[in-house]
Amino acid sequence: MPEYTAAPGVYSVVIWLLPEYHYRYHERITGALIQELRYSLAPHKDKELRSIYFGGGTPSLALPGNIGRIIDEANKLVPLTNNAEVTLESNPTSAEVAKMRDFKLAGINRYSIGVQTLDDKLLRKMGRLHTGAEGLAAVDRAKTLFPGRVTFDMIFGLEAQTLQQWQTELKTALDHADRHISIYQLTVEPGTPLFRDQQAKRVVLPSGDVQVQMYESTVDICKDRGFRQYEVSSFATHQSAESVHNKGYWQGQQWLGIGPSAHSRFTDPASGQRICSVRIPDTRQWALQCERTGHGTGKALVVSDADAKQEAVVFGLRMLDGITNAQFTAVSGGESLASYLCMDRVRHYASEGYLQWNAQAACLAPTRRGMQVIDTILLEIIP
Amino acid sequence: MLQTRRLPSAAWRCTAQAPTQLYWGRRRWYVARSADNKRGEMDISTIPPERIRNFSIIAHIDHGKSTLADRLLELTGVISKTGKNKQVLDKLKVERERGITVKAQSVSMFYEYKGERYLLNLVDTPGHVDFSYEVSRSLAACQGAILLVDAAQGIQAQTVANFYLAFGQGLEVIPMLNKVDLPTAEPERAAKQIESAFEIEASEILHISAKTGLGVDQVLPAVIEQSPPPPGSLGKPLKALLFDTWYDTYVGVVCLMAVKDGSVRRGDRIVSSHSGTKYEVAEVGVMYPEQTPTTLLQVGQVGYVICNMKSIAEAHVGDTFYQDKHPVEALPGFVPAKSMVFAGVFPIDAGEFDRLNESIQKLTLNDSSVSVHKETSAALGQGWRLGFLGTLHMDVFRQRLEEEYDTNILVTSPTVPYQIKYCDGTSKFIRTPADFPDASYMQDHVEYTMEPFVVATLIFPEKYLGAMLELCTTHRGELQNHTFIDELRVMLKCRLPMAEIVTDFFDKLKSKSQGFASFDYEEAGYDASDLVKMEVLLNGEAVDALAAVMHKSSVVTAGREIAGRLKDVIRRQLFDIIIQTAANGKIVARETVKQLRKNVTAKCYGGDITRKMKLLNKQKEGKKRMKRIGKVELPQEAFLSIMTRSGNGGSGSDS
Repeated sequence: MPEYTAAPGVYSVVIWLLPEYHYRYHERITGALIQELRYSLAPHKDKELRSIYFGGGTPSLALPGNIGRIIDEANKLVPLTNNAEVTLESNPTSAEVAKMRDFKLAGINRYSIGVQTLDDKLLRKMGRLHTGAEGLAAVDRAKTLFPGRVTFDMIFGLEAQTLQQWQTELKTALDHADRHISIYQLTVEPGTPLFRDQQAKRVVLPSGDVQVQMYESTVDICKDRGFRQYEVSSFATHQSAESVHNKGYWQGQQWLGIGPSAHSRFTDPASGQRICSVRIPDTRQWALQCERTGHGTGKALVVSDADAKQEAVVFGLRMLDGITNAQFTAVSGGESLASYLCMDRVRHYASEGYLQWNAQAACLAPTRRGMQVIDTILLEIIP
Repeated sequence: MLQTRRLPSAAWRCTAQAPTQLYWGRRRWYVARSADNKRGEMDISTIPPERIRNFSIIAHIDHGKSTLADRLLELTGVISKTGKNKQVLDKLKVERERGITVKAQSVSMFYEYKGERYLLNLVDTPGHVDFSYEVSRSLAACQGAILLVDAAQGIQAQTVANFYLAFGQGLEVIPMLNKVDLPTAEPERAAKQIESAFEIEASEILHISAKTGLGVDQVLPAVIEQSPPPPGSLGKPLKALLFDTWYDTYVGVVCLMAVKDGSVRRGDRIVSSHSGTKYEVAEVGVMYPEQTPTTLLQVGQVGYVICNMKSIAEAHVGDTFYQDKHPVEALPGFVPAKSMVFAGVFPIDAGEFDRLNESIQKLTLNDSSVSVHKETSAALGQGWRLGFLGTLHMDVFRQRLEEEYDTNILVTSPTVPYQIKYCDGTSKFIRTPADFPDASYMQDHVEYTMEPFVVATLIFPEKYLGAMLELCTTHRGELQNHTFIDELRVMLKCRLPMAEIVTDFFDKLKSKSQGFASFDYEEAGYDASDLVKMEVLLNGEAVDALAAVMHKSSVVTAGREIAGRLKDVIRRQLFDIIIQTAANGKIVARETVKQLRKNVTAKCYGGDITRKMKLLNKQKEGKKRMKRIGKVELPQEAFLSIMTRSGNGGSGSDS
């Protein structure tokens, strides 16, 4: 079991900074963020903050001073735990790399870099402003400032990529990696320009079989280099290097999202209900509402027990450690994992080598093989 | 409000798509009521048989039968001329949608001719070949028939079939050319076709346009002049032919009868020749156009009788009724409808079985031509084997089941009734491929197998002759003859296995003739045929619901096609799925659906939860509609993919 299972009342904060933040209304938006932070954290004063995550794609474009103001404000409202994880997402462009030290001084203690690929041509096509070499250099630089706490993203299954190209690229990336890396298969979402290009055959992606081979060899190569696939797309050399913040999502813990289009999941201390909400996506509208009411919530819903149970299993089984009965009962209102799940299907998949069901430890986990097809298995084991 | 006689069940009335409400206007009552008639019943006793005509309109689909009926009803004031009367007699949603008549209707009209008042009963008939059984039933109540032919299209295959049906029953056939106002109309050519095909004098043929009303005033005089009055005698004891029934939630079974001798009135005790059961008559009347009570029904008249009959099963169509203690010789009756197409019907969700059972019962209440047998499939669970008169009948039934009763069903591919002759001299009808013996058993115990045949009539322009001949031969057809019914049009007769026409024959016929060919058929008995059972195996396990019986010559092509189609519709699962088709113990074709090796969402963080859960629940819903055969999940399309037919086989319209 991971060492930092959530004690009730430990929160994460996600600060979502969309690109427009950096070009318009700079100060005004920092003000709105702080307003929303105050409003949202106020009801949770007696709790602790376990992680802060600056995401949304471009937070590294922000002024380090503003990042520092937000961290300090959060800490003032709900104290950060001793080993709290404070992550900043960044691009490996030279301008952003130059600010790395200042971010560290502002309170960032974990650095995440969107390297994506080492292929310069593809990076240009993806609209990225950095090269592969710059990506790796940023990783190297970050390791000197945040030793042991650097991670970066890679994507496979890109246009015209061959299995061998990917393997070579991944090995190079791992040569530079610190103790954590996230590796995603390119997903083509309907409605995106890439989807249309693919439909029209303007873009040829690796075939399904090749993508499977890429995924499997990714897991193998990472394993050879000492990286454990602790979640579908997340690899770490040691449990202490795993992302505290991301595991919060997969373990059904509570988090508050601050900023336009940020999502939140938390138990409302007043009603005891589990709430999921999303902030207004349009930055201007969001800021206006923050100024008027103190928060920019666009939509909030109560998560039913049925949904909470389903989510706990769906997200728990993304991790190799799976879900424990204790984690499940925390959201199920007492119902055990074994009484909730379709146990005949669970046992079937356990016997076929897709799942591990440990009755004594009351823990359900996917095997490596099971994790690879978990979306198919989930459909059968969830009632 | 249209109190439709064909919409008796509450379930139907509740549907959102109930037929357009029609304003019927004030009825014109031609008939006086006697002073002691307190119930306000219409008195038609003063109309003697000489002033009664019972007739029907027979036509190929789309030749304007229902439109002519609308005009005649308007002309006689049965319905008002609102300009909105469109196919008044087609009351089922499916009838209006598809433009076909499924159930026969009947309506009475009063008409003044040469100073005399006539009672005219129009007995409508279904227009499609599948329902020829109902046509002959309805014709038994008539003495005359209008043969309506589209002046632009000329004689079609169904015209021929219907003519011989009416002619065979001794009806006076009154030919008329419809749609003569159309620019494409060629009345002379159509008249010549009628002359050469039916040996009817062309000069006698009326030219009308039911749509514009042109010449319609000549129609009823022609019926009165040319159709004989009903025979029979008022002095004789009651003899009444039951020729149609329907079920009404309030009064039970309503019987449509043609009175051949004598009379029947409320309070009479009548007896069924078939069962000997006695019934007390609660109400008699005519359809005008709804049920309108009359003081009596007497010789020559056609009307309804309500007599406390509780179940449609008691109403034996073709039965003769007589007055209690005055038995008469029974009329010959009808040969019962024969199911020519069988299909398995199963609930998608096994929990729906009871509800579906109820829906099927309700629907068969008014369609006794559907035969119902319980069936249990290893693959699909409990269901029914339903027998239909034809594929259109099957499609119509399925559509009504789904739309009127909101049920989700799985219909297996249709099959015809095969016959097996065993070595010990016994024989057996096979309604479902699952019952067809295995190859090994066949060798030792079966002498030979037989399949039903039809004689098909095809009429088409000469230039399609080659394509039509080829179509017949590729469907194992045996050409009987072809004749030119005029300079340009050919009538082709050929003998075909029935199994060939329940698949995609009709669609091919239409596409190969660019829509110009018409087609009709009649049953032509059984012939020995080299039949085999094609089995479908999934991972080595035979799936009973996917089996099919076919002629030996079709095995290789069909086997490959079925395996290929299944491969396209079966989704990848966590193991390889081997699809095999086999006949006579030999594998014909093999396909593999490769194992699914990866199915996991790459990126899933806080903001993705909602979308991910939505997708999961959608997929779970989809999974519910799958049928699990062993370990393999089969989508519904898998069962349909065995059918080679596409779309519906042979619907059209007969407005």
